[in-house]
Amino acid sequence: MNIFERVIKETIERISSQFSANAPGLLTGILIVLLAYFLARLTRWLISRIFKGITFDRFLRRSGLLSMLNQSGRVRTVEIVANAAFWLILLGGVVTGISAFDTQITSQITTTVIFISPKLIAAAVILVAGFWLGRYLSRHILVWAVNEAIPAGRRLALAVRILVVFVAVAAAADHLNFARNVFLAAFILVVGGIVLSASLALGLYGKEVLHRCLQEKPDKTQEKEEMSIWRHI
Amino acid sequence: MSHDRKTKPERLLPEDALLAVEKLQGTADVVIGIPSYNNARTIGHVVRAAQAGLAKYYPQLKAVIINSDGGSTDGTRESVVASKLEDSQLLFLNTPMFPVHRLSLPYHGIPGKGSAFRLVFQLAERLGAKACAVVDSDLRSITPEWFDLLLRPVLHAGFDFVAPYYHRHKFDGTITNSIVYPLTRALYGLRVRQPIGGDFGMSSRLFSRYLESNDWETDTARYGIDIWMTTIAIAEGYRVCQSFLGAKLHDAKDPGADLSDMLHQVVGSVFMLMQDYERVWKARAASEDVDLFGFRFGVGLDPITINVDRMLKAFRLGCHDLGEIWERALQPDTHAAVLRMGQDSSRGAPFHMEDELWVRIIMDFAVSYKRQPVERGYLLRSLTPLYLARVASFVSEVENLISEEVEQRIEQLCICFEHLKPDLIARWDNAPSPSGIVGRESEKTQEKPASTVSLEV
Repeated sequence: MNIFERVIKETIERISSQFSANAPGLLTGILIVLLAYFLARLTRWLISRIFKGITFDRFLRRSGLLSMLNQSGRVRTVEIVANAAFWLILLGGVVTGISAFDTQITSQITTTVIFISPKLIAAAVILVAGFWLGRYLSRHILVWAVNEAIPAGRRLALAVRILVVFVAVAAAADHLNFARNVFLAAFILVVGGIVLSASLALGLYGKEVLHRCLQEKPDKTQEKEEMSIWRHI
Repeated sequence: MSHDRKTKPERLLPEDALLAVEKLQGTADVVIGIPSYNNARTIGHVVRAAQAGLAKYYPQLKAVIINSDGGSTDGTRESVVASKLEDSQLLFLNTPMFPVHRLSLPYHGIPGKGSAFRLVFQLAERLGAKACAVVDSDLRSITPEWFDLLLRPVLHAGFDFVAPYYHRHKFDGTITNSIVYPLTRALYGLRVRQPIGGDFGMSSRLFSRYLESNDWETDTARYGIDIWMTTIAIAEGYRVCQSFLGAKLHDAKDPGADLSDMLHQVVGSVFMLMQDYERVWKARAASEDVDLFGFRFGVGLDPITINVDRMLKAFRLGCHDLGEIWERALQPDTHAAVLRMGQDSSRGAPFHMEDELWVRIIMDFAVSYKRQPVERGYLLRSLTPLYLARVASFVSEVENLISEEVEQRIEQLCICFEHLKPDLIARWDNAPSPSGIVGRESEKTQEKPASTVSLEV
């Protein structure tokens, strides 16, 4: 056997040994992913068919979550739920498929995904809650401001919304242990900035306003012009 | 509405109320209810008027005046107990009469007029009263005759519900005139002119029905109580009439009142009841008059000054900031018309809101309340600028009209509501608009004469 033949033979042996070592894991993985894919599709189809989104749609519409997910408010929530279930099952299938290789790297990937998933879900819930709360508060502040004839109502509502969303993002990042110091510093800067601006505004203009209020007598004409609330009823 | 309406109503009386009932030895023929919150200044007059009315017109009946208080801190309850009408003040008494008892009790539950009424009705039921009348505690224009006018149709003519009928300034009662009266009339087919007047008489049958309801923890507990009581009486077929009470003048002070809250609660209650009585109002077409008792006379009314510019400013601000919600609440053409009005108003053009546009706004809000494309509280509060625009338009329009002409103007609005009712039904059911039906319905809305009933009052 010359050297060339020996190289060819060893190569074929190595390939066959690698193939026999990895092929079962690969095939298992592919099979699991395929099964997960079909299971995910089946689940999505079942959710779409069975629930039809009636109750869930109503709940989301009432709570304002629907309009948060889509500005038009016309998204069918059952589709969202069905798609979420599809992707969750598929992700689970992929992770299980990867773990079928049973190597160090795949084990690490699986462990990381399993370890991080609850945290990711919790962070997502914090974010969704923050976005919802921000939207809810900003809408009510906006209507209140309009009904109280406050001219900067829209800006006030937007500021409240940004602040609430920012707090939610900071809380989610903190939960994921992601850039904790950056978010903390940013949060302190924002809150500190607001307090400083308010203090400056009060210091610069408060005295003047107070002086005016003390000097001005109650405006009887304006009082007269104000229609008593009972007049409406 | 912030409550589960499926829960069973709580009908147990608070302990202090039970003790008070025991002291009265258990029975009364007539109960007068007066809700209050920090009304020490005016409630004495109302209690004395009630005492005089009962002594003058019903000396032979056992009567109790119940003040249901929301936790006043200004001595309201003490005023009630201290307000005693001396016999020497009454020139007409030789007849032996029962003493009129006065009770002042704090109510429990959500703070509001509705919760106060609930305690009154519970006590009236417990005492076995045949009739009950409720009046506001801040009335300056109340007289002893009011109690006779509110109670007699119940006690002597078999009516279940007596609504008030007042002479009011043309700028007064704008929620009533622009929303509640026309809408209630178009929906339920009875022309009760003051459905949220606040001063009512009712039979034991009716107040027992109220107590059976599950709505006591909703907006009904607050400003929604008046329209709730009136609607139940009309929609469930109780015998309803009106009594002419003269002028209605409130104390100018309004503790804690807020227009947006008031509008939210009143209109929210109307819309909530539209869902409850959907079958009833869909089946009724046109409207008819309701028997009116009492001798009608002209009265002098306090002048009212209204700042139209401020109202229009609020409307323009609404157009600028609330477009997102109005877009979802209103039909596209209605929304476009509203925005056009806002733009015209900004340019300084004379402001006018057509009746039909206003009716469509209210109907769109009613449908949105049912479908909930947005949260209900948010939806109802966003109505305030539109309502102010309507008031501004109405005030400008009737500024130089006399009261009869103004009443004609309100009648036109009512007819517009009635004409567009088929559209409302179609939209409510998500069906196409019934073109052609409007015309046919308009023929049905011809005046139906009131039945002539004679009653000595």
